[in-house]
Amino acid sequence: MAGILDFAPAIVLLPFVSFLVALSVGDRLPKGGAFAGIAATAGSLVLAIATVLTVAGGQTYDATIYTWAEGIDAVDLTFGVLIDPLSAMMLLIVTLIAFLVHVFSLGYMNDEGETGLPRYYAGLGLFTASMLGFVVADNLLMAFMFFELVGLCSYLLIGFHFREPGPPSAAKKAFLVTRFGDYFFLVGVVAVFATFGTAAFAGSESFPALAEAALNGEASVTTFGFEPQTWFTIVGLLVLGGVIGKSAQFPLHTWLPDAMEGPTPVSALIHAATMVAAGVYLVARMYGFYAISPTALAIIAFIGGFTALFAATMGLVKREIKQVLAYSTISQYGYMMLALGGGGYVAATFHLMTHAFFKALLFLGAGSVIIAMHHNENMWDMGGLKDKMPVTYYTFLAGSLALAGIFPFAGFWSKDEVLYETLIHGLGGSPLLLGAYAMGLLAVFFTGFYTFRMFFLTFHGNPRSQTAEDPHGVRWNVKGPLVVLGVLATVAGVVNMVPIEKLLGIGGIDFLHQWLDGGFEGLTAHHYADLIPYSSSYIGSEATTVAVGAAVSLGLALAGSGLAYLLYNVPEPIRHTDRLGRIKAVLYNNYYQDEYQVWLANGVARPLARVANKFDGGVVDGVVNGVSGVSLFAGGRVRRIQTGVVSNYAALLTLGLTALLLAFGILGGWFV
Amino acid sequence: MMFDAVVLQSEPAAAWTAMLPAILLGLTGLALLGIDTLYPEETSNTLLAGVSAAGSLLAFGVAAWFLVAGTGQEHTGGAISLFRDTMVVDGMSLFFTLIVTIVTAMVAVASYDYLSDHAHRAEFYSLVLFAATGMTLMSMANSLATVFISLELASLPSYALVAFLKKNRGSVEAGLKYFLVGSVSSGVMIFGISLVYAVTGSLVLGDVAAALGDTEMAGVLGVGVLMIVGGVAYKTASVPFHFWAPEAYEGAPAPISAFLSSASKAAGFAIAFRVFVEAFPLGAIPAGVDWVLAFQVLAVVTMTLGNFAAATQENVKRMLAYSSIGHAGYALIGLAALTAGGPNGDVLGASMAHLLVYGFMNTGAFLFIAMVEHWGVGRTFEDYNGLATTAPIAAVAMTVFMFSLAGLPPFGGFLSKYALFYSAIEAGFWWLAAVGAINSALSLFYYSRVVKAMWIESPAQDFEIQSRPVGLYAAVLFAGLATLLLLPGFGPVIETAQSVAAALF
Repeated sequence: MAGILDFAPAIVLLPFVSFLVALSVGDRLPKGGAFAGIAATAGSLVLAIATVLTVAGGQTYDATIYTWAEGIDAVDLTFGVLIDPLSAMMLLIVTLIAFLVHVFSLGYMNDEGETGLPRYYAGLGLFTASMLGFVVADNLLMAFMFFELVGLCSYLLIGFHFREPGPPSAAKKAFLVTRFGDYFFLVGVVAVFATFGTAAFAGSESFPALAEAALNGEASVTTFGFEPQTWFTIVGLLVLGGVIGKSAQFPLHTWLPDAMEGPTPVSALIHAATMVAAGVYLVARMYGFYAISPTALAIIAFIGGFTALFAATMGLVKREIKQVLAYSTISQYGYMMLALGGGGYVAATFHLMTHAFFKALLFLGAGSVIIAMHHNENMWDMGGLKDKMPVTYYTFLAGSLALAGIFPFAGFWSKDEVLYETLIHGLGGSPLLLGAYAMGLLAVFFTGFYTFRMFFLTFHGNPRSQTAEDPHGVRWNVKGPLVVLGVLATVAGVVNMVPIEKLLGIGGIDFLHQWLDGGFEGLTAHHYADLIPYSSSYIGSEATTVAVGAAVSLGLALAGSGLAYLLYNVPEPIRHTDRLGRIKAVLYNNYYQDEYQVWLANGVARPLARVANKFDGGVVDGVVNGVSGVSLFAGGRVRRIQTGVVSNYAALLTLGLTALLLAFGILGGWFV
Repeated sequence: MMFDAVVLQSEPAAAWTAMLPAILLGLTGLALLGIDTLYPEETSNTLLAGVSAAGSLLAFGVAAWFLVAGTGQEHTGGAISLFRDTMVVDGMSLFFTLIVTIVTAMVAVASYDYLSDHAHRAEFYSLVLFAATGMTLMSMANSLATVFISLELASLPSYALVAFLKKNRGSVEAGLKYFLVGSVSSGVMIFGISLVYAVTGSLVLGDVAAALGDTEMAGVLGVGVLMIVGGVAYKTASVPFHFWAPEAYEGAPAPISAFLSSASKAAGFAIAFRVFVEAFPLGAIPAGVDWVLAFQVLAVVTMTLGNFAAATQENVKRMLAYSSIGHAGYALIGLAALTAGGPNGDVLGASMAHLLVYGFMNTGAFLFIAMVEHWGVGRTFEDYNGLATTAPIAAVAMTVFMFSLAGLPPFGGFLSKYALFYSAIEAGFWWLAAVGAINSALSLFYYSRVVKAMWIESPAQDFEIQSRPVGLYAAVLFAGLATLLLLPGFGPVIETAQSVAAALF
């Protein structure tokens, strides 16, 4: 059956080709290879749309493309493509955002006269290709490899301005911190292979299916002496290490704010569609494996809820526009983790999608502002940009409303569903989930506040600097992507209007639920719903619960936004952070997260490394040196036999032969 | 070609035509003498080198054709016996003929530059060709008498060739030492042959094997067999008959060192394999005469001694000489890992394949030395410092040879050593493989010293390299290319080697 899905590898390969083109001949192409990247991502986007349409028609695709290590009495290591509703949706998101980011880059990089553009576009191309490869991966090892490539590309792009002091350091930090998480992921991959003998995501022989069968006693797997339940939890948590690193969850979130050193379009790509999304997508991809482990789910939910609140509070006091957005990203991915942990698979995927749109929008809007402000990112130098850049203003407003979760923008629907799912499962007898829900709910207030603090400081009031009075204009290549994303951030909620359905009783408008319910048996939303260890309970009736939940979260979002309106929508806003007293210092310093991690590195890891180094230098090298010393000494002795006197040779030769003859003669009994 | 093949199949050619490679080599040697007689005053170096190379390449081509066409192999009616079974042409003899002829061709091409300032060039080339004829005959010898005669035919020109630089004390001294040690070894060997004859009453290998069963003189036979082991050890430069090798290789003209350490050693292994497998088969030999154990001892001692001694040398050529002894030790695994009923074809074939790869990489290394001598650069590791800056292409080739000799991927030496050690493990001799692997690890030390000197160290003085010797470059690059290509092309080589080796059992 040769259909459009057979071209799925091309979605991945096109950006890769643009990477090669930009790398090899980018400096001879107009715009430093930008058009190659735009053409490639546009092609991928078209193919992704076709893929989504085909999947909507009920087709799926799961094929091994290449077996790169054939196991003899062991596992095969393969590359394969898995297209199901989840990956098709993600393909669409990634290709769309990547395409828009490429277009935007024309305005942000080319028009601003940046140098090293071929390197930039090569990085973007490889970044997109890696993420797409990760999305279509049909097994965990392939996912891991592309996961690592994504990490590598983020390193290259965050450190794009490598001649300045900040970016290389930020790039290194992003690389090392995520690598710390990936280390656990790698161990987890090996554990999955050792346990199940396969790392496939889909099918009856996939590891989630085998794990489920093992729990039901229908299959036997190697669990290394643990109870299957315990062991699956351990493996799941190992893989989760990579997720926490990539999706910037507490405590491995520290790299993400620093990563703002990268060019703004790259930030948009990282936050909306690639790097950070990869972690959450991985959990969604292998959700069947997590769903059977209540402990793992609880940990995911709690980390998510905590991160959502924790990051939101840090976002309250930041001065730079991109910093606020960075913490909002951490916080929003916390919501997705909360949803996944709370049994809301569809909710998490929904929020992943809407967040991709509005966060890409906000970053590109911030990029537009930054162009206007001549690369000054301090919000206290802005103000009054509203009238000078209306397109940016209105699209940014749409993005802000979506981020804050204000009805009827996209973020409202998805965030509401995240909280709703967590609430009903929490009410169903899981106090831990209720705690996570409370944190998520509280974070809604802070989200509204920091979002509109940023918004008002940037666009309202009087200009607070020379540049803000006379900002630099932006062109179509900046405005175009903003408009597209602005529309999406406004209306994307319609794909899943569950509250409307529940309240008004209009059936069949939960399109995303239906969408994710298709595809492979075992990878469907209702299968996951059967698996999760939660039961649901409601406040009164289901409709009441929906109404109460939505009202509370909307109320909190409005309250937060309203407070920001009161404090910052004035002609000359002042800094209110001083009122926070000592809390301000704590928040400014991000709860001293960096400090304690540096202390861990210096105070714990370094002495350990020193001991290891001493062992290596003293014992291991000592043995090696000893061996070589003995060898050379022995060699010197051997060399001395060669005297150069031929009669000595004859004598030694004869003696040697005689010795052989005697030894073998006695051994063989020749002389008896 | 097609026509010939048809003729071969329909009407078998005269049996002696199977010896065509050896005949061609001998005729080429005679032709060289003829040329020298016709133009005694000013014999053209180009003509001589060209005729030698052409003759040996022709012999190579014929041998390769025979091997592909299946001459002397089982599917075309088995080994071709000649002269009342004293000579035999089979897959193994053709395989070794390939090694000898290709090395001869490389040496002939390389000598073109090396000999440009020397007199008596025709003698040089004809001696090389006669020695090569002897080596080819060694691979075909099927009787202890022809074994000895062909061995001497190979040895006697070699003595003269080592001493070819008559005005060079080192060369003359090396030639004399080689001759003296060679004489002692030949004496030992022929004594051993006479003892075996005394016990079995025959010199033809098959008849010797047949007579083993009802002998009561196991002791005499044992002494004889061990003495033949000695003769073989001399020709392959194995302990304790190796003493001549470092001196001869160092003193001889470098192309001759290449010739002796590659072709002559391979021919020595050819007689070793045939004599011990055919005349003293493991099933028939009396229990007390354990030549496999003797070869195990020799293999371990030879590779260890060769590598340890090589590690402390200062002179690159001498280091290569000892490394060549070490490689003899590896190749001896082919005999040392034989067992009654074991995977003997695999073991022996792996050893043969290693000798083929070794023929390229070792010849290439010595020819690189010849090039360096031609330039007048010194002989120690220090003298090689920074050579890569002035002669990068040659240095790349030498790097390939060194790493291939050490057995590193992605070069031919990696797979041949791997196949050799793997076959030893297959046969149950994991400890032989372990000793070999440890020695290989040690060998990396001294091989990489050359590489380090050429590429990393900075030169002490400027090299005065005026010439780019075409012949030497051609031979070195050919050897380097072959060493590289033998990695992807190792499959057919090892298959051929193991199938022709299996035919012996």
